[in-house]
Amino acid sequence: MRRILLSAALLIALVGVFVVRLVDIQVVRASELNEQAQDARSQPVTVWGSRGDIVDANGKVLADSVMRYDIVLSPKQASKALVERDVPDPENPDKTMEVEVPLAQLAAELGAEVGLTGDQVQGIIASELAADPDSDYAYVAKLVDTETYERVKALDIPWVYADEHPSRRYPNGAVAGNLVGWVDPDGAPVAGIELAEDKCLAGANGEVSYLHSLQDWVKIPGTEIVHEQAHDGGTLKLTIDTDLQWEVQRIAEAQRQAVGASWAMVTVMEVKTGRLLAVADVPTVDPNDPSATDKADRGSRSFTAPFEPGSTFKALTAASVINAGKADPLSQVVAPYRIVFPNGANINDSSGHDDQNLTLTGVLVESSNTGMSQFGELMTDRARYDDMLKFGLGAKTEVDFPAEEPGDLHGDPDDWDNQTKYATMFGQGLTTTAVQIASAYQTIANGGVRMPVSLVDGCVGDDGTATSPASQGEQVISPEAANATSQMLERVYQDAWLSDEWNIPGYRVAAKTGTAQVPDGEGGYLKEYLVSVSGFAPADDPQFVVSVSYMNAVKMNSSAASAPVFQEVMSQVLKKYRTVPSGAPAPELPATW
Amino acid sequence: MSALPAQSIPAPRRVGPERAPRRLRPAPERAVRQKPRLAYAVIALGGVAIIIVAQLLLSIAVTQGAYEIDGLQTQQGTLTREEQKLAEELDRVESPQFLATKAEGLGMVPNANPVYLRLSDGAVLGQPTAATGGASASAPLVPNALIDGVPPSGEQASGQTPTGGIPDQAADAATQAPVEGALPTPATH
Repeated sequence: MRRILLSAALLIALVGVFVVRLVDIQVVRASELNEQAQDARSQPVTVWGSRGDIVDANGKVLADSVMRYDIVLSPKQASKALVERDVPDPENPDKTMEVEVPLAQLAAELGAEVGLTGDQVQGIIASELAADPDSDYAYVAKLVDTETYERVKALDIPWVYADEHPSRRYPNGAVAGNLVGWVDPDGAPVAGIELAEDKCLAGANGEVSYLHSLQDWVKIPGTEIVHEQAHDGGTLKLTIDTDLQWEVQRIAEAQRQAVGASWAMVTVMEVKTGRLLAVADVPTVDPNDPSATDKADRGSRSFTAPFEPGSTFKALTAASVINAGKADPLSQVVAPYRIVFPNGANINDSSGHDDQNLTLTGVLVESSNTGMSQFGELMTDRARYDDMLKFGLGAKTEVDFPAEEPGDLHGDPDDWDNQTKYATMFGQGLTTTAVQIASAYQTIANGGVRMPVSLVDGCVGDDGTATSPASQGEQVISPEAANATSQMLERVYQDAWLSDEWNIPGYRVAAKTGTAQVPDGEGGYLKEYLVSVSGFAPADDPQFVVSVSYMNAVKMNSSAASAPVFQEVMSQVLKKYRTVPSGAPAPELPATW
Repeated sequence: MSALPAQSIPAPRRVGPERAPRRLRPAPERAVRQKPRLAYAVIALGGVAIIIVAQLLLSIAVTQGAYEIDGLQTQQGTLTREEQKLAEELDRVESPQFLATKAEGLGMVPNANPVYLRLSDGAVLGQPTAATGGASASAPLVPNALIDGVPPSGEQASGQTPTGGIPDQAADAATQAPVEGALPTPATH
């Protein structure tokens, strides 16, 4: 009986010890021990979540993510470890023998693949060892492509390895580079759509760890732990057409070089939808190599550089006046070279002339400042200002491009001085961006309905969810006023001094030129001129707006510099979208009386 | 009080000890139990053995699978890299800059004046106009760092193309076009 009791007590004591130990291991120190166990045989591995693609309206890739490789070597191992290779035995051709390969040869072989000399590679090793004799990590080359990586791998040097590194690539180079922007080497967005739509594009890297066999690094089944789920970024679809964008950039750049302009902007917009089909800013940055382009030329001036629109703005004033019922295309006015208004404002035309008996149509054809001033004053400043706001001026467009400027309508009408009150009627004393002007012309072309400007068509997330921008138009002016303005602009296209320069056979076109100075940002003006043409076609059923601006065309400082570009781009657009030529000729509107 | 003695008599309990010897009796039962115990032990041990063997086999199969997966993943990695190389090459050659340079190499020029033939009545819409101007070198106008160093001319590009078929013809056309003089454009570009 005592023996039984003794052994029972011993047994209980033993079980008690086990239980205590078990609780200690499983509960008290569980996490600590788990961690140790994991660390002993597994390491966290990054699962790359790739940044989403940027594609054009047809799905053509403008920006995508590729895997690049940083080639790394271990200076310590390079200096110590011997590398042996099997080479054919000269005595017995069937067998191989192991030969020790000297460091110099390996360095030369490695260098040849990554574009360095053997001495440079040895230099990297030496300098790294001088800094830290135990160094295991020194870059030989960064962001090399897959081909180079595979060639380096084929060398089979034990102390050389590669770090995977997702990188960004722009297959079309500078095509839409002004819009797409780029990311820095670490993958952070720097400019353009990359920056503006980072929320859609950004992926998230995940992390997993697993146990692996020591010998051949094979993953042991069932040991994988997902610490963080990786997910890819969404695909962003733009409204831009890559082919058209290229063609527009080509035309714009060729003319920019021909006329010696500092820079140029060309915008192509779809009339019915407000979609931007092409936005060219030349010179254009190549996002693959942003540093090759001058810093000021890397963005999109069409969004970020407001300018005084000049005479292209007269179309808007005319539309407002007609919409207000104060005039029609045949309303008459006497336009002198210079006119002084009762409030003291002193307005003159660009070149001297005798008094002209002009209709409103004629005022646009002759681009008469004095004539337009007399029509503009039929409305109150406040009413014109309100119309400008409704045309989308004075506020950022719906695109909300990075660093986009709203333009400046010279503050509020209450701030306008006497001269500004009249200057704003023909596009001076206020600033707009190129995209805003294109949008205003879109409004006139679209029967007075302004559509939200869109550059992004939508974002499709990696889980398939899609977003697309709202596209609700707003009636700015009456369809009748829009139609009347369109007909007057057709007369401008046919009768103005540049009519031979921009003729597109077979189509009815509405267009207006402009020449204006650019604010220097400090209250004054730059001495250079910005010459522009804005218009749309076919005028009988408007489909496309094209707006062209050239800055400081030293060899041809007038709208004649931009007119051929308007003609070429508009022709290309009409051809590309298979627009049927117009049938009936443009209606006649007398310019004089 | 007279009822107490009567209550304190646990009459039936005395019957128990009398029947107790019967419980100790069943010797034959022991003999019967012993046989199944061995069978159970055999079955239990056999079961354990089978489970262990099955587990071992499963484990071997899973491990075998792990190596297979590893091999396939390595293969997938290689193929992915191969695909990426080819996709990058394709992207390069289908970029507008590359196509334009090749088209110019063939002596092609853009015609900005569109003309349409309406099939219903055969009407020609638009005014047919010959393309003006020569083939200009458009490549430098819209830079692309990715195609720098890739020879854009017909012959060299076809030399890079593994299939060689169609690009070879293109290369032939490139060399023939200026000789024939069929295109109304200067071949210089």
